[in-house]
Amino acid sequence: MSWSKVRPARGGVWFAMVAAGLAALGCVSGERGERSGSAAQPLKIGVAFETLQTEFWVAALDTLRQESTKRGITMLQAVADGDPSKQFEQVRTFLGRGVDGIILVPKDGKTVIPMIRAANAAKVPVVLLNRPADRTDAPHTTIAPDNAAITRQTVAYLAERVKQSGRKAKAAILLGDLSDINAIGRRDGFEAAVRDAGGAIDVVARVPTEWNQERALAGFQSAMQAHPDIDLVFTSSDFMLPSIKSVLSAMGRWKKVDEAGHVLLAGFDGDPTAYTMMVDGYLDATGVQDVFWEARQAITVLEQAKRGTSAPARVDDPGFAITQQNMPMFADRMWGAVMARQSHRP
Amino acid sequence: MTAQSPAVAAPRVRVEAVHKGFAGVPVLRGVSLTLAPASVLGLVGENGAGKSTMMNILGGHLRPDAGSIHVDGAVYRPRGASDARKAGMAFVHQELTLFANLTIAENLHLVRFPRRLGVWIDRTASRRLASEQLSRVGLRRGPDTPVEQLTSGERQLVEIARALTHDARVLILDEPTTSLGALERQRLHDLIRELRHDGLSIVYISHELGDVLRECDRIAVLRDGTVVAEGDAGGFSVRGLVRHMVGREVGQFYPAPRQAAVREPLLRVRGLCRGTRVGPTTLTVGVGEIVGVFGLMGAGRSELARLIFGLDKPSAGVVLLDGRALVGAPPGRIASGLAFVTEDRRLDGLCLEAPIAENLALASLRRLPRSLVGVLTGATIKRAARRIGSAVGLAEHVDLAAPVGRLSGGNQQKVVLGKWLLTRPRMLLLDEPTRGIDVGARAEIYQLLHRLADAGTGLLVLSSDLDELMGISDRILVMRHGELNGEFPSTAFDREQMLRAALPASVA
Amino acid sequence: MTSVASALPWPRVGAGGSVAPLCVAAFAAFALTVPGFATGTNIEAVLIAALPLLLLVSGQTFVLVSGGIDLSATAVVGLASVAGGLVMSHDVQPGAGGLPPAAGPVLMVLTGALAGAVNGVCIGALRMPAFMVTLTVGMFSGGLAVLLVRLAADTETLFNLPRAFVALGGTPLAAGLIAGVSALAAEVLLGGTAFGRMLRAVGYNARAARTSGVPVVAVTAAAYVLSGTFAALAAVLLTGSLETASPAHGRTLLLDVIGATVIGGTSLSGGRGQVWGAALGVLFLGMLSNALTLLNVSDFAVTIVKGGLILVAAIVDRAIRPLRA
Repeated sequence: MSWSKVRPARGGVWFAMVAAGLAALGCVSGERGERSGSAAQPLKIGVAFETLQTEFWVAALDTLRQESTKRGITMLQAVADGDPSKQFEQVRTFLGRGVDGIILVPKDGKTVIPMIRAANAAKVPVVLLNRPADRTDAPHTTIAPDNAAITRQTVAYLAERVKQSGRKAKAAILLGDLSDINAIGRRDGFEAAVRDAGGAIDVVARVPTEWNQERALAGFQSAMQAHPDIDLVFTSSDFMLPSIKSVLSAMGRWKKVDEAGHVLLAGFDGDPTAYTMMVDGYLDATGVQDVFWEARQAITVLEQAKRGTSAPARVDDPGFAITQQNMPMFADRMWGAVMARQSHRP
Repeated sequence: MTAQSPAVAAPRVRVEAVHKGFAGVPVLRGVSLTLAPASVLGLVGENGAGKSTMMNILGGHLRPDAGSIHVDGAVYRPRGASDARKAGMAFVHQELTLFANLTIAENLHLVRFPRRLGVWIDRTASRRLASEQLSRVGLRRGPDTPVEQLTSGERQLVEIARALTHDARVLILDEPTTSLGALERQRLHDLIRELRHDGLSIVYISHELGDVLRECDRIAVLRDGTVVAEGDAGGFSVRGLVRHMVGREVGQFYPAPRQAAVREPLLRVRGLCRGTRVGPTTLTVGVGEIVGVFGLMGAGRSELARLIFGLDKPSAGVVLLDGRALVGAPPGRIASGLAFVTEDRRLDGLCLEAPIAENLALASLRRLPRSLVGVLTGATIKRAARRIGSAVGLAEHVDLAAPVGRLSGGNQQKVVLGKWLLTRPRMLLLDEPTRGIDVGARAEIYQLLHRLADAGTGLLVLSSDLDELMGISDRILVMRHGELNGEFPSTAFDREQMLRAALPASVA
Repeated sequence: MTSVASALPWPRVGAGGSVAPLCVAAFAAFALTVPGFATGTNIEAVLIAALPLLLLVSGQTFVLVSGGIDLSATAVVGLASVAGGLVMSHDVQPGAGGLPPAAGPVLMVLTGALAGAVNGVCIGALRMPAFMVTLTVGMFSGGLAVLLVRLAADTETLFNLPRAFVALGGTPLAAGLIAGVSALAAEVLLGGTAFGRMLRAVGYNARAARTSGVPVVAVTAAAYVLSGTFAALAAVLLTGSLETASPAHGRTLLLDVIGATVIGGTSLSGGRGQVWGAALGVLFLGMLSNALTLLNVSDFAVTIVKGGLILVAAIVDRAIRPLRA
């Protein structure tokens, strides 16, 4: 009676089950692999994103995918969920697979350096998309927006509105995490535009946010309490716009651009929220990183490298400021607008 | 016996040529049994003979491969345990299955709580019903008493009360006395007699052959899946039952009495106590002496053994082995030559899922030889296990790599003994060394204990089985309320006197 | 009584012996169907990526065998990484010449052992539940790591580590040697010593082990100290290969650690387990995630496949244990 034996033969059953399952999985995509092999040496690239958490990166990956298909390029993709060692593993996998180039969105500027070196050792060119690396002697290409220039252009539009009104403005800026050079660039652009305005804008509050929604809300709230007369606000990223809206709404000052008491408002990124706020008439302007351009440019750099052209160290995304005035003309180039329209399609 | 002869009465249960196998291994090979109304059938057999399988078929847990069962003339083919209950089968399992954190009433009505309007639990009705059920089994406890406050004997009665909740016609008791003391055992047997008087048919499974002979009307002996003997209880003796069970004459159940001798003291316990459970206890075990400690459930036997072995901290007192004081936790005491076969094999004695060889080696890991780099190889362990396994009578064909839980109770106990013998103990403590073990293995273990004593090992055997102690000990100490209450040399063994010394003062 | 569970038609993946065929099956299937899988460079990539996980899994096996679980191991990786960075990084220690080169890695290993000792004392001596203790020690370690980095450098990560240290953790040969030797030592310790056997006994039945003279408290605590130490070694590899000390290292590995150990035949309820089985579990997960990346399967699908497989392994572990009621 006692305990019946577990038959070891079951190991074989498991073996067969797994083998069959894995083989089936492989067959589905094996086809894909063969087809690409028959074409005349198409370019093969690896794309490794640190995250897909925000719509910006989804838009970037979509563009890369569409552009690759258009140009007949095989694209391998991987997302590291914020884990640099996982990203390193993915880069190694790409290198092992023999890709002709790698497009990277790194977690930070430091951990990416060994990855660049690994690619250098395999003689595979690397493009860092939107996030630059720290100082290093390992050659690579960075494609990133000119934060300062785009911000300066955006805030200049607000300054013009101030001048038109003939009054002086009290301004607040929501700063990003100042260990991030993007945040620094945007602050510098803002300050430059304020200087350009020649005294028309008086900055009374500089709110640190560390790129954190809650800190932005709390910081902006106390700024508005200390200076209820603030009538110009710039946020270093569009994702903090909802915080600004909730504070202003509570004070009864969430007004459209043509209404009395409107607080001049501008941001940076060009995300779908910003687009909606512009269409609804609450947001005056936002600086747009031209993610479509950046993605296309990244692939172009790799194509040129394959043909033997040496890759540049830096490609600046000139970007643009989208404003209430130029919106009809530029909306098609604003990634947030494209995404907002897509999601509203039935 | 005034009951009418079962052969004349129409049988309550008739089992005919029932077969059952597991994974191709036959366990029951054509079992036929009859159970008369208002009678007690004793079912005996060694572990693995098929008793539990047969009862699980009756209880609806298993289905037979072939054969038929009739209950009161109607075909009985339950599809599960609840089906069997509806047909009047009440099964009390060997392991107690009550929920300790619930009250008696909650345990009794867990499945079918009395309800008001079909939804709300009717606690008043539940309490009233529970009181009736408890009085039927003679348990004087309130229905709101949490089960954790009951002794194991009282829990057994609650189990029976629960089994009788449905209109039971047949009550199956599987080893009902293993966790009961002498008094509680008496109470259970009284209850069985009453229930039989009320017309219930009872199947009584037990290794306690004396009980079976005393309490049953008829006895059936199972061996290797068939009934090898069946008849009126009066036609059997313990010796005859044992012969049927093992299929051969078991020479001498207890070994020959040992010569009295003057012995050097080996283990000396002086004023050892802990709280209210163990009073100041002083005793001595000589070199090569077997000292029995008799006590009923709750007398503090196991607690005393745990104190001597260092598993619990004493509040006062000393333990000396060979004149040297033992202090601290078990590892040091084991190194000094002390060993402890615990009462509960499954809980304290063995790692059931671990291989037999690992269990045998467990207490000797520090002293087994190492290879050059300090590695203790599996081969070393296997060699030691094989050697000690044959010394304790573990059959040669037993696979030492198999989990020890697959062995029968007797073989499991041999593994526990082997584990301790591998440490070369000078002094062995044994708490209930043959509980739940079949007759053949029991005799072997007694022989082994005598051989150990003859070789100079001191043995302290703690047991609630007086026959056992009288069969193997040189001297018996009686324990009551945590204190020693009498000492009997083998020349003065007297069942009655010793039992009286063990009973609570109020009863004696 | 025949156990119902043992009659279920479950394959025996939970036992160490069947992981080897599982790995062979996976390799064969991937090699045949996934383009670029069976190349020297790709296999090298799989192996290099598996090294930190191999170390974590070796340590975790001790704890699971003892009947516990160490949920803090991956957070301890981050803490050890930061501890090393604080004494080694030129960002924090402009001179950094005062200390001998071995100080960094030694401090990292000590940090891991210390975190393990906290776990071990709470679980072994104070008898607190392993789940709760290691979860909180993990939270504490993770938070402390971030705090230390912020205090010292006001950033998230520490860069500019000594060349010798980077070579230690970042060179595939050195990293492979560290992980390989450590895993081998773990296998011998668990499978071939008195300590390993005592640990198993504690996992199977701590009461029986205590009665048999096993120092249960010390043995249990040692398992957690080992787990912490191995986590610190994983931190040496991760910190070296990414040339950065960061509290985030190892953060995403917890599921893989438990998963690889269970797939490798180590029981979640204690007693049964081997390091070599767990190492094969690591290899299997590594090949799976590599193949799925090569097949361009999106990331969340990888998580689904992994999670599903680990769940199956855990169910099998339950199903083949009929002996515990």
